[in-house]
Amino acid sequence: MLAIFKRETRSYFTSMIGYVVIGVILAFIGLYYTANCLVYATSDFSIVLYSTTLVMLFVLPALSMRSFADERRNKTDQLLLTSPVTIPQIVLGKYLAQLVVLAVPMAVACIMPLILTCFGTVSLTSAYATLFAYCLLAAACIAVGTFISVLTENQIIAYLATFGVLLVAYLMESLQTLFTSGNTLAFIVFCIVLAVASVLIGFVCKSITVGSGVFCGGAAVLIVLFQLRPAWLLTAFNSVLDALALFSPFETFVGGMFSVSDIVYYLSVIGLFLFLTGQALERRRWN
Amino acid sequence: MIEVSHLTKRYGSHVAVDDISFTVEKGCIYGLLGPNGAGKSTTMNVITGYLSPTSGTVTINGHDIQEEPQAAKACIGYLPELPPLYTDMAVREYLNFAAELKGMKKKADRAADVARVCEKAGLQGMEARLIRNLSKGYRQRVGVAAALLGNPEVIILDEATVGLDPAQMIEIRALIHDLGKSHTVILSSHILSEVQTVCDRVLIISGGKLAAQGTPEELAARLAAKGVISATAQGSREQVLKAAQSVAGLTDLRVTAEKSDEVSFTASSTDGADLRAALSAALAAAGCPVLSLSSQNLSLEDVFLQLTESDVSADSEQGKPESADEAETAMPLAENEESAGTDTPQDKEGE
Repeated sequence: MLAIFKRETRSYFTSMIGYVVIGVILAFIGLYYTANCLVYATSDFSIVLYSTTLVMLFVLPALSMRSFADERRNKTDQLLLTSPVTIPQIVLGKYLAQLVVLAVPMAVACIMPLILTCFGTVSLTSAYATLFAYCLLAAACIAVGTFISVLTENQIIAYLATFGVLLVAYLMESLQTLFTSGNTLAFIVFCIVLAVASVLIGFVCKSITVGSGVFCGGAAVLIVLFQLRPAWLLTAFNSVLDALALFSPFETFVGGMFSVSDIVYYLSVIGLFLFLTGQALERRRWN
Repeated sequence: MIEVSHLTKRYGSHVAVDDISFTVEKGCIYGLLGPNGAGKSTTMNVITGYLSPTSGTVTINGHDIQEEPQAAKACIGYLPELPPLYTDMAVREYLNFAAELKGMKKKADRAADVARVCEKAGLQGMEARLIRNLSKGYRQRVGVAAALLGNPEVIILDEATVGLDPAQMIEIRALIHDLGKSHTVILSSHILSEVQTVCDRVLIISGGKLAAQGTPEELAARLAAKGVISATAQGSREQVLKAAQSVAGLTDLRVTAEKSDEVSFTASSTDGADLRAALSAALAAAGCPVLSLSSQNLSLEDVFLQLTESDVSADSEQGKPESADEAETAMPLAENEESAGTDTPQDKEGE
């Protein structure tokens, strides 16, 4: 794992991509820091971080896009997969190298609240807690990007797909308001999801019976629920959408609260997507 | 050493490798031979753990590649068809990385091993060059060097000499020959002369199936059902042919050349027995001095063509034009391959 980690880190810093990512993140944080804290003289550092979350959508996919897509195109994954290292070690090595690149602008950002203390009282706890959550959010975005990168061998597709997924996650809060009215809508959406899932299951099992069986069973459950407990569907639907809103837990921290459940949420997202990356890598050997 | 049993690999509905079983003994050089798309690379990829078999098992040194992949992979040095090189790294940097991947923890060990393999693969003086700037031949050498790192017991080389110039090819073959003394080597190739000169044992794969295996001589002998003799004797045509016909078991007499008082002819024995002595005696008795006499052994090339062509005719029933397929199987022939490069189609009649 150490070998992969070292190689990846070095490759980020011998090519332009590492510097570009670091530079862009720092430029935006610096811009908002200057505008908000130095010029406008607010003591709230978290507002700077909040304003720069949008930058993640553009920058972090550039970091994660090459992690696996490039290996597959150049067939260098053959070296990794035929060496005596496990798949979790490969995934972790690559992921940690991306975190090292991320750590550079974060380390610089650590200094910023300290500078503010020269001019007045600053809530350092709040500032650093937000910065911590900011790092976790970025780490979660990178995990998503790494997973998407393993699915394709084209870096540009990996970039665009990651950008799209993160954009949906970013906009999820406002999208959610479209869905909160009406249990029928929730029912319809669940039915569509069920239909898609059934078709997929049918394809995977190569059996129409299994696919239609799943669909009929699921539809029966949905109809019964819709008749008896229509509110449940809406609640369930909303909690699914909540879980997809990757950026909203971060706002709790910006609001000045330290939420353990949100930290657990980010760690779960990271864990889930790294696990899926490993599974996708493993699965490729079977096709 | 390596045991492959009932190995099958399917890609969707396409069967790339179909129920192949073989055993690789320690300290031998094995050649995997087959036309394009026969399943050589797939077989190697499964043995090295890059792909998972659809069914069947591969055991390396007692370690199942599926059950204990780490232990099994640690015994193997693999050079895939396309060397897996990070082009943004320098040669030494890359080899260091590969050595560390193979579990060499100490820096000094790695440096010593990298120096050793660089020397073996003929990379001295290139260590600081970026892989991106290397020629195909040198990239291939870097791949070979990486496969040698850590002195693995089994070395698997997929088309190791592709893209090398003739001198480099001979060098790499010498290296493989050298490795065979201390390692088990499996190499795949479509160059028959290479396999014939380098390998102790040959596995011929065709259409995903194991068509034959054995030493090159064994394979040739097995298929040489008719021992063909070519001879030149002094005397008139009638005299010579009469003498030859008197040898029991000799049929299919054909005069190939006739000079003033010399007759060259070929003949084959019906049961495959070696009739050179009998023929020589008969000719001498008839007063026709024998000028030359030799038995034409089937080369590996002929064996290869016979084995793979039977498959071709089976395929052609499904509407494939046979001649096109034959051209494909006949592609990589010629004994003088070293000087001819790899992909010039040679006229097989000329051999």
